[in-house]
Amino acid sequence: MAKQFNELRERLLRAGVAPRHVARYLRELSDHLADLIAEEERGGRSRADAESAAMRRLGAMEDLCRAMTEQRRLRSWSARAPWAVFGGGSLLVLAAAYFVACAYLWFLWQVFLPGADTPFGQRNAGPIYGWQNICFQAGKYFYIAAPVLVGWGMAWVGARQRVRAVWLAGGLALIAWMGSTAHIQASRTAVPGGLGHIRMDFFAPGQNLAGMLVTFAIVAMPYVIWRWRRAESLS
Amino acid sequence: MPARETNPNFMNGVPELLILRLLEHEEMYGYEIVQAIRDRTDAVIAVGEGVVYPVLHGLERDGALKSRRGTVNGRSRIYYSVTRAGSRRLADLSATWKGLAAAIHKMLAGGQDGEAIQRTS
Repeated sequence: MAKQFNELRERLLRAGVAPRHVARYLRELSDHLADLIAEEERGGRSRADAESAAMRRLGAMEDLCRAMTEQRRLRSWSARAPWAVFGGGSLLVLAAAYFVACAYLWFLWQVFLPGADTPFGQRNAGPIYGWQNICFQAGKYFYIAAPVLVGWGMAWVGARQRVRAVWLAGGLALIAWMGSTAHIQASRTAVPGGLGHIRMDFFAPGQNLAGMLVTFAIVAMPYVIWRWRRAESLS
Repeated sequence: MPARETNPNFMNGVPELLILRLLEHEEMYGYEIVQAIRDRTDAVIAVGEGVVYPVLHGLERDGALKSRRGTVNGRSRIYYSVTRAGSRRLADLSATWKGLAAAIHKMLAGGQDGEAIQRTS
């Protein structure tokens, strides 16, 4: 029975049904099956007979699958509009991560370096294990890791929803492109009032092709390993 | 156990109607719903029991049903009940089906030279 439910799960996910609906469907089917087996056993059948009768009553695999896939409103956004999720969506999420990194940098700049024109290249930032340095380093590593974290998140979504690899590869390539061409500048005197100005640029042509390839390899690696191990377990 | 399943071609919209009607006054979980459909239709309407869940999920997604998790005999169950939107949908579906049933009955009673049937919706 577990094997049949696993097969049903795979078919539903590949058909684009949202994982949360698939999980709930399988849980309810499993409970229903347990009730049917108990009912058949109360009717005097042996355990084996009760299980096969219960499976027949539950419905053929084809019918159970079709009933769910016909409910178009239960499809995931990744299946309805993969170009939006893995194209625009991946860039938006990475942009949001960079926005958080910039806001954090601006906050530290105001708190720890109120007189400095820029938070970059400051050599008088206190002891190396001081609170100030740790805060700046945490922000720097978040900024550097943002494309990888977002890429892994996208790969997890793609794997969970059995999205076609071409969509995921496209999304990861965009993330790698945006991440490897990101350039940040900060200046207090760039705007009046002394509040400081942080600016980011992306997608400058001809920049950092090697960085893009390395980023792509890092973000795609867990997904490739997952696909490889899954193919091995299925064969 | 039903001897055969109802022809799916004649079932379009029927499960929704039956489910909304059953849940109109009391909440039930899937197994109870299937048993109630079988009992109250004298097993004339019989489908693979598992296919009731996609209909329940679809109706919940549309806001016609709401669900809550409950525990029966140590097992977790998802209970469904009708919302106001579901009550309105039930009224619409009932009116449509009553009109359709009357039209078909009229057609069958009239035999080969039956009267023209007015559209029901």
